[in-house]
Amino acid sequence: MLQIALKDLKLFLKDIKAFILVMILPIALVTLFTLAYGGMGSSSGDSSPIAIAASDLDSTSTSISTMQKIDSLKGLKLKHMDIGSAKNRVINGSETAVLVFYKGFQDSVDKGADPPMELFFDRSQEMEVNILQQALIGNLTGILGSKNMENKVHTMIDKQYADLDESTRKMIHSQVSEGFKGNDEEFSSSPEAALKMTGLVGEEKTNWGMLQAVAGVAVMMLLFSVAGMSGTILSEREEGTLKRLLYSPIHPNSILFSKMIYAMFVAIIQLIILFIFSWLVFDLDILTNPLGLIIMIVTTAFACTSFGIFLASISQTRKQAESLSTIVILIMSAIGGSMIPTFIMPSFMQKISVASVNYWSIQGFFDIFGRNMATVKILPEAGMLLLIGGIMTGISLFRFRKHVLKVV
Amino acid sequence: MINAKAIHKRFGTVKALKGIDLDIKEGELYGLLGPNGAGKTTTINILSTLLKPDNGSVFINGLDILKNPVSSKKNIGIVPQEVALYEDLSALDNLLFWGGLYGNPASQIRSRANEMLRLFGLSDRRNDTIKKYSGGMKRRINIASALLHNPKVLFMDEPTVGIDPQSRNKIYEVIGQLHSNGLTIIYTTHYMEEVEKLCERVGIIDYGEIIAEGTVEELRNRSNTTSIINVALENPGNANLKDLQKSFETVEVDQNNQLVFRCKDSDKKLSGIVKYMDQHNLMISSIDVKKASLENIFLELTGRKLRD
Ligand SMILES: Nc1ncnc2c1ncn2[C@@H]1O[C@H](COP(=O)(O)OP(=O)(O)OP(=O)(O)O)[C@@H](O)[C@H]1O
Ligand SMILES: [Mg+2]
Repeated sequence: MLQIALKDLKLFLKDIKAFILVMILPIALVTLFTLAYGGMGSSSGDSSPIAIAASDLDSTSTSISTMQKIDSLKGLKLKHMDIGSAKNRVINGSETAVLVFYKGFQDSVDKGADPPMELFFDRSQEMEVNILQQALIGNLTGILGSKNMENKVHTMIDKQYADLDESTRKMIHSQVSEGFKGNDEEFSSSPEAALKMTGLVGEEKTNWGMLQAVAGVAVMMLLFSVAGMSGTILSEREEGTLKRLLYSPIHPNSILFSKMIYAMFVAIIQLIILFIFSWLVFDLDILTNPLGLIIMIVTTAFACTSFGIFLASISQTRKQAESLSTIVILIMSAIGGSMIPTFIMPSFMQKISVASVNYWSIQGFFDIFGRNMATVKILPEAGMLLLIGGIMTGISLFRFRKHVLKVV
Repeated sequence: MINAKAIHKRFGTVKALKGIDLDIKEGELYGLLGPNGAGKTTTINILSTLLKPDNGSVFINGLDILKNPVSSKKNIGIVPQEVALYEDLSALDNLLFWGGLYGNPASQIRSRANEMLRLFGLSDRRNDTIKKYSGGMKRRINIASALLHNPKVLFMDEPTVGIDPQSRNKIYEVIGQLHSNGLTIIYTTHYMEEVEKLCERVGIIDYGEIIAEGTVEELRNRSNTTSIINVALENPGNANLKDLQKSFETVEVDQNNQLVFRCKDSDKKLSGIVKYMDQHNLMISSIDVKKASLENIFLELTGRKLRD
């Protein structure tokens, strides 16, 4: 059994093109995807500004200046419009979200209560909204809670009520300052509650874009390479060497298993290289949970290999297996979140995505690197991969005995 | 060594084998001669446990191969009809790989591989990939790959199809050597010359049945034709075929305008032919007597030519 796997490995190493495809292409793609995602969700990224709609129903000095402040932020642009058309534009997809300050915004700020505001957003644009959320909450706290804000109000009072006498203005100033004092502590946490947004992204330091690129591409490329390697069983049939293998006393099932051992071995090497690359180039902390990472690498390799062998087992020829694999893997990778993160998909797609190998692998890697979860927490994902792999292997064995072995 | 009884095999509606019996002794070189689609490969596939017969029994070296396929496989070496090698591995690596599947110690396989490379005259090319080999050289390694585990029986399915005369002769030479070493060999072909040259005993197979069996000499004697006399005339235009055929039943004119006589007793016939030519004023420019090939026997038995 091992002889066959070693022979295949020898053949693989002689094939420069295959080697480049399996080892270099994934690295190139990860780099590309990481650059494309930019600093998605990362605190250090500099993506182009996100434009959202804004409606100020309060139209008070506080609400206006807050809007101005937000607008002046790097990475955020506000487009003022009335609430009705803003909502419509979100619904028809022209805008990602609309930020609304309701009447009573200033009163609440003055009283130190939660200011009435709401962010209406397009669910399918969750990725952008997530970023927006972070930016808004962080900045609202800063704007509304800072002395800077207070000063702005003071200058505004001075400007607008310049005709009032000095003592009246002083009185107003001290009252305003009084109001700000009370607000400071309360406000440090309130914008988050006031904005009523849930499901905030996790670790601040996580570069989700890079992680998405690494995990997503890793699984997809793995599927492609193992599908290619599993396909060698069909070329062996076409070239007659499978028949010759069957002349030998080796059990027919062992031929299939030896292909899986070979493909799994190369797959594990491919993943290790990819993670080492991500560690060296993208600062991915691969030592954060070594045991979890090993478990995920092995189960991912197993699930992908089984899937590859499954694709080979339902094909008649290598050519057929190749085109079938290309289509199936691309679709599964798209659904499973290898190309675009699942959380930005509509909910019905998210429900389908759990049927893919990609989904569970990516979630597992997210758990390790993004959510910093303990090893036990990744066991469900690992278990799902083993389950999918087991089922695929079972079907493949059946198909293999029934169809592929028909060489005479 | 090989004992097969009443092997039947059908593929859907095609009755590929309709009761094949074989009894081949140890050390025998047996030729299975038959046209395309006769059932040669199917027979080999069944004898080598690759295919299960619909019914019938096969014993090789005393083992029922249907009940003990795994241990039987160690007794059997098979040279497939098509070259089945890894093109990107060297000849030596191919041999080591195929030999390694039978569970023998690595050192033994290696020395056997080198022995085979010497035997087939490819020692100096051992490290070249198969890709770089000529068709004939590939065929030689294809045969060698079946011998690494020292089988007791060797099945060769048309091992010389489409190769150059040099490689073909090398293969004949090696087969002779293996045979003299006591290996039992079944050799399938549709070239009767091969069978006549190599095999001690021949089975003629057609439409899934063995229609004649024996040594080449026995088969020849069984037929109405043992010799073929070719006569070339100075003046072939003067010969009257109709009249000739009255005197000699089995005479034809071939594409070279020569007269071809088939006969059982060439000496008697020869004098008759000379006499006839004399009487009819026909000048003989050359005359040539050959032993009949198995082709004729096949023709007689089936009314068809072996090769179409
Ligand atoms: N797997 C199969 N499925 C269906 N029919 C088959 C199969 N294998 C062989 N046959 C049929 O069985 C018959 C015998 O075929 P076989 O390959 O044994 O002939 P052969 O003597 O080896 O011919 P050749 O000289 O062309 O190799 C043929 O009619 C062939 O079409
Ligand atoms: Mg054949």
